[in-house]
Amino acid sequence: MTTMELRFTLNGTPLAWEIGPGDLLLDVLRREGYYGVKRGCEKGECGACTILLDGKPVNACMVFAAQAEGRAIITIEGLAHDGELDPLQIAFLDRGAVQCGFCSGGMLLSARALLNHNPDPTEAEVREALGGNLCRCTGYIKAIEAVLDVAARREATK
Amino acid sequence: MFEHVEAFYRPATIREALRLLRAGNGEARIVAGGTDVIVDADRSIRFLIDITNAGLTYIRRDKGTYRIGATTTMAEIEDSPKLRSMANGLLNQAAATCGSVQNRNLATIGGNLAHGSPAADTVTALLALDALVVIASERGQREVPIADYLAGPHKGLLTEITIPAPPAGKRTGWSFQKLGRTAIDVALVNVAAGFQLDARSRVKWAKIALGSAAPTPVRAVQAEQILTGRLLDTNAIGEAAEAVTKSINPITDVRATSAYRRQMSSVLTARALHECAAQAGVSK
Repeated sequence: MTTMELRFTLNGTPLAWEIGPGDLLLDVLRREGYYGVKRGCEKGECGACTILLDGKPVNACMVFAAQAEGRAIITIEGLAHDGELDPLQIAFLDRGAVQCGFCSGGMLLSARALLNHNPDPTEAEVREALGGNLCRCTGYIKAIEAVLDVAARREATK
Repeated sequence: MFEHVEAFYRPATIREALRLLRAGNGEARIVAGGTDVIVDADRSIRFLIDITNAGLTYIRRDKGTYRIGATTTMAEIEDSPKLRSMANGLLNQAAATCGSVQNRNLATIGGNLAHGSPAADTVTALLALDALVVIASERGQREVPIADYLAGPHKGLLTEITIPAPPAGKRTGWSFQKLGRTAIDVALVNVAAGFQLDARSRVKWAKIALGSAAPTPVRAVQAEQILTGRLLDTNAIGEAAEAVTKSINPITDVRATSAYRRQMSSVLTARALHECAAQAGVSK
């Protein structure tokens, strides 16, 4: 079986992994132990495998691993810093926005990308940003409220 | 997944991509955003040629022509100020409806065209805009009108979409309408329409395209003819909306019946034309 080397940055750490030329990024990340990247529909529809690729949310099931060459990836494992949860993670806990948790990682990363780009979104913008993250527990409202909480707190401390 | 793939190429030029495509002898597949190639999951693929490093990601305007590189993503089109000033942002709007944020960050306009789906949202808008498609081969490149491109198989690599700048001005209106089960769903029907009025509110030209209503996106020529030269009023819009059904041939599938698509084609066309009228300064 042919292999190739993939050099990229994962959660801030430069890495070199051996991959197959037809491997999908989702499979490679999970093979290496990044189980926070959930295997859901594998058709780009559910958002459970959402990662940030150069800061933008994408579904890891829709990317060939080889396409990550030279790029920076953040998975849910990389959202907390030095044991400090991201304000979004705290807000999800405070609001009870996590039920079974399967969609939470992807939802948090979609929300993080939104707030990085638009720190004070409207509710409609939050809904749009989370539109590609399906929750089988149907728990959308609290997640939307959690994202708006973080935006409002930031506004208040300006 | 894709266990038969022997090599993943990332050519830096179109020329190299074309050489690899020829060398692949039918077993190589072009990949850009990946959102169609991966879902199709064709296990016979032996070589993948990723063209996202081949310099085809750009949005330019030279003089009267907009040029969009084939690997420009939906998200880039959606956010482009340059395109927002063309046809009242028709293409931005169409791109913004192409699935979730995650998919729009990957999916490319070239892929939306080359995949050949009748429901491709940007293709309906491009058809209304009389876009042209640039196809490169090892012998050179050619530019074909989008309607011809849709009619046929074409050998070569789709590298660019060009759009002759449509007439601007306060008496023009453009609208993109899409009906889907959810905000991120594939279109049951989509419509792109635009027109320009003269000083007496007569229609100088009209363009109406529909997607997901025939084997490819189609122009509603009869409806356009009904409007052209006519005073734009509610009757004219109603007749044009009725007439679009002459240009379409919708199928019944898991998403909708043919009859429903037919009816909604008229409804969305009327909505689009009313929105155009509002932009063109016509009061109801």
